[in-house]
Amino acid sequence: MDVLRRRKTISLILKLTVWFCGILTVGILIYILLFILLRGVPKINMEFLFGEYNSDTLSAFSSVVTTIEMVIISLFISVPIGVFCAIYLTEYAKRGNKTVKVIRLAVDTLAGIPSIVFGLFGMILFVKLLGFRASVLSGICTLSIMILPLIISSSEEAIKSVPDMYREGSLGLGAGRLRTVFRIVLPTAMPGILSGIILAIGRIVGETAALIFTSGTNVLKNPTLDLMASQRTLAIHMYMLASEGLPHSKEMAFATGSILIIIVFLVNYTTTKLAGRIGRLSDE
Amino acid sequence: MRNRKLLFIIAAVLMLTLVFVGCAKEQPSEQPQPQQPVEQPQQPASNFDADKDITVVARDAASGTRGAFHEIMEIIQKEGDTTVDKLVVGALEFDGTDKVITAVEQDKYGIGYISLGSVSERIKAIEVNSVEPTIDNVKSGAYSVARPFLLVTKGTESDLVKDFLNFTESIEGQKIVNDRNFISAVDSPKEYTGSGLSGTIKVAGSTSVAPLMEKLQEEYNKLNPDVKFEMQANGSSQGINAAIDGSYDIGMSSRELKDEEAAQLNRHVLAIDGIAVIVNNENPTDDLAAEDITAIYTGEKTAWFEIE
Amino acid sequence: MQSTKANYSEKLMQAVFYLSALISIIAVIAICLFLLLRGIPAIGEIGIMEFILNEKWKPTDYPPSYGILSMIVGSTYVTAGAIAIGVPIGLMCAVFLAKFCPDTVYKIAKPAVNLLAGIPSIVYGFFGMEVIVPFLRENFGGNGFSILSSSIILGIMILPTIISISESSIRSVPLSYEEGSLGLGATKEETVFKIVLPAAKSGVFTSIILGIGRAVGETMAVVMVAGNAVMPLDKIKLLKPIRTLTTNIVTEMSYASGLHEESLIATGVVLFVFIIILNTALSLIKTRDAKN
Repeated sequence: MDVLRRRKTISLILKLTVWFCGILTVGILIYILLFILLRGVPKINMEFLFGEYNSDTLSAFSSVVTTIEMVIISLFISVPIGVFCAIYLTEYAKRGNKTVKVIRLAVDTLAGIPSIVFGLFGMILFVKLLGFRASVLSGICTLSIMILPLIISSSEEAIKSVPDMYREGSLGLGAGRLRTVFRIVLPTAMPGILSGIILAIGRIVGETAALIFTSGTNVLKNPTLDLMASQRTLAIHMYMLASEGLPHSKEMAFATGSILIIIVFLVNYTTTKLAGRIGRLSDE
Repeated sequence: MRNRKLLFIIAAVLMLTLVFVGCAKEQPSEQPQPQQPVEQPQQPASNFDADKDITVVARDAASGTRGAFHEIMEIIQKEGDTTVDKLVVGALEFDGTDKVITAVEQDKYGIGYISLGSVSERIKAIEVNSVEPTIDNVKSGAYSVARPFLLVTKGTESDLVKDFLNFTESIEGQKIVNDRNFISAVDSPKEYTGSGLSGTIKVAGSTSVAPLMEKLQEEYNKLNPDVKFEMQANGSSQGINAAIDGSYDIGMSSRELKDEEAAQLNRHVLAIDGIAVIVNNENPTDDLAAEDITAIYTGEKTAWFEIE
Repeated sequence: MQSTKANYSEKLMQAVFYLSALISIIAVIAICLFLLLRGIPAIGEIGIMEFILNEKWKPTDYPPSYGILSMIVGSTYVTAGAIAIGVPIGLMCAVFLAKFCPDTVYKIAKPAVNLLAGIPSIVYGFFGMEVIVPFLRENFGGNGFSILSSSIILGIMILPTIISISESSIRSVPLSYEEGSLGLGATKEETVFKIVLPAAKSGVFTSIILGIGRAVGETMAVVMVAGNAVMPLDKIKLLKPIRTLTTNIVTEMSYASGLHEESLIATGVVLFVFIIILNTALSLIKTRDAKN
C-alpha cells in the first residue's frame, strides 16, 4: 500500500516537472520575443527597411536581400545533396557496409564542427586559396557545407521512420525501388525533412561566426545580388550595430533583431503549414 | 475534465510570464527619463558603494584604441627588448565601442575607454589629470590621451584613390572630421571639386575610424556618384596588413605605425582623436590622475575607495 | 524496353545518391586538411606542450606567449554549465511534448520550440547582454559577464536541438512497449521514464551530442556575455569572466597576422580535436548499446 502511494507521489512529481519544463521553454521564448520586439518594432520604419544605407538610416535593406540570397542558394546546393545522402544511407546501402559507417562518422563530425571553425575553413579555402575573396560566394560555399549534416540527419531520421510496410506494399505492386523512394518514402518523410530544412534556414539566417571571415562585415548602400560582392547578412548587421557605437545604433540593433525574429517566424509558419498539407496529402 | 484543468494552469502561467515580461519591460523605458534632465547634481553617490571592486573594461587586442591607450597610460611596459601588456587579470575585453559603453552604462563600478567622438549621455567622460576631455584641450595638447587616425597606402595607388585621399584632406573632408567631433589634423586644407572618376575603392581597418570613413564616403559619393566603396571594419592591424599586401587600397589605423610598417607605407593623418576615460553616470568620480588610471588597469588598485 | 530504361535511371540515381553521400566525407577531409596545414606548423613552432598546457595568452607582448589552457578549461566549464541547464529541461520538455501534452497545447508549444531553434545566436547574445548579465550582477554580485551568464544563454540555445530530436525519437518508440507496461499496472509516468525513454536512448544521445556541439562551438552569443578575459586557472570562478576557444578566435582573428593568426587557426584545430574525441566517445557508447 505504502509502496503504491510512493509510486503515485513520484509519478505526480514527474508529471509536474514535465509540465513545468514544457511551460518554462515556451515562457523563455515569449520573454525573449517580447523583449526584442517591444523595443525593436517601434523603431522600424520605411527608411530602415527599404532605404539606402548610410550612417543615419543604418538601413537593413541590403542586408535583408543578401540574407535571402544566401538562404536560397545554400539550400539549393545542400538540400538535394543532403536528402540524396540520406536516401543512400537508408534505402540503398547494405547493412554493415563500411562506407556507411564512414559516412555516418563524417556526418556526425560535420554536425559537431563549430561554426567558427567553418568560418576559419572558409577563410582559408574559399577566401584565400580559391581567391573568392571576402564575398557572398565564399559565404554561401561555407554555409552549404555547414547545414549539410542538419539536413542529412533529419532526412535520415524521417526516412527511417517510414514503416517498411509502405515500401513492401509499393514494391509488391511492381514499382521499382527508385519509384518507391520518390513516390512513397519521400512524401511520407517530408514533414521530417522539412523540419530539418527549417533548422537549416534558421541556422543560415542567424549565422554570424562563419560569415564574419568569409562574406565580411562590409555593407553596401543598395542591395545587390552580385555573388562576388562583400556584403553582410542581417545577423552580422545586428552584430555590427551592437558593437559600433554610432549614436542610435543600439536601438537599430533591436530593430534588426525584430526583423530577424519576424523572418524566422514567417519561415517557420509557412514550412509548418506546408508540412501539414503534404502530410495530409500522403495520408489520403 | 482533467485536461481542461491543466489547460487552465498553463494559461495562468503563460499570463504570469506575460505580466512578468511586461514589468521588466517598463524598467528600461523608465530609466532614460530621469537620466537626461537630472545629470550629475541630483545623483551623488547615493547607492554607490566604493568598497566594491572596479569593473575594468578594455578593448580587444585588435583595437587601435587599446594599442594607443595602453601605450599612453603605460599599461604596456617595455623592459629592455621585452614588451608586456600588464592589463589586470579579469578585465573584460570587448571587440566594439558600443559594447564597452553598454558594459559601463550598466555597471555602476565600471571604467572603460572609448573614442572621444563616441561619448554620449549614456556614460560619463571624466577628467584626466584635471583636464577635461574636450576638442579644444586635445587640440592644444593639454589633454594628452590622444592618437592619430591614419589612412595608409602602399604608394602605388590609382588616381582614383589619390583623388579620394585629396578629398579627405580638403576643406570639405575636414569639415566632416570636425562635425563628427574629431580634430582636424590638416594645416591648410584646399578646396575640392569632383573629379568625375569612376571605379571601386577598397578600404579596410580600424573600427574606430570606420564611422567617420563612412561619412566621408557618403559625401565623396555626392560629388562623384560613379565611385563605389567596399569597406571592411576589422581592426587597425588588419587594415595596415591589407594595405601592405595590396589586397585593399587604403588601410585605416587608429594607432601609430610600427617602424617596420611605416617603412612600407605612405601615411596620411586624417584626424586626431582623443580617448575618453568613461565611468558610470552614478559614479561620483569626476577626475582621475593618470597614475590612478594606470594603477586601475594594471590591477594595483582594485576598489574605488583606493582612489584619492 | 521500358524496364531497361527504368533500370538505367535506377543505376544512374543510385550513383548520384552514392556521390552525394560521399560529399560529407570529402568535406570533413577538406576541413581537416586545410585546418591542419595552417594550424600544425604554428603548434610546431610554439611547441605543443607550451600551446596546450600554458595558461598565458599574450600574443601582443614581446616575446609573445601563446598558451590556450585557460580557454580550453573555459570552454569545458561553459559547455558543462550549458548541458547541466539545457539537457534536463530539454529532455523533460521533449517528454512533455511527446507524451503529456494535450493537442491544443501542442499546437502552440511545438512551433514555439521550432521558433526557439530559429532565433539567431546574435539575438540570444544581445538578450543575454541586456537581460541576463544585469540580472546576475544585481543578484549574485560580480560584474555579470561570467561563466554562469554564458552557461545560461547556451543552456537556452541548446534547448530546441535537444527537444526536437529527443521528441521524435521518443515518438518512434513502438506503442506496444507502452501498452505492455501500462497493462502490467505501471503508471503513465513510470512507463514513460522507465520504458519509453530508455528505448529512445540513441536519439536522446544524438540530441545531446548536437547540443554539446552547439554549446562548444557557439561564438557570437558567448562573446557578448562572457567578458572575454583570459583568466589564470586558479582564478576561474562561476561568477568571473571567461574566454573560450571560440571567442578567442573571433575577437582576435580580425587583426592577427603571422604566427598569431596561425595560432588562432591552431585554436580552431584544438576545438576540432575536442569535437572528434567527443564524437568517438559517444559513438562507442552507441555501438555498445546496439550490441546489448
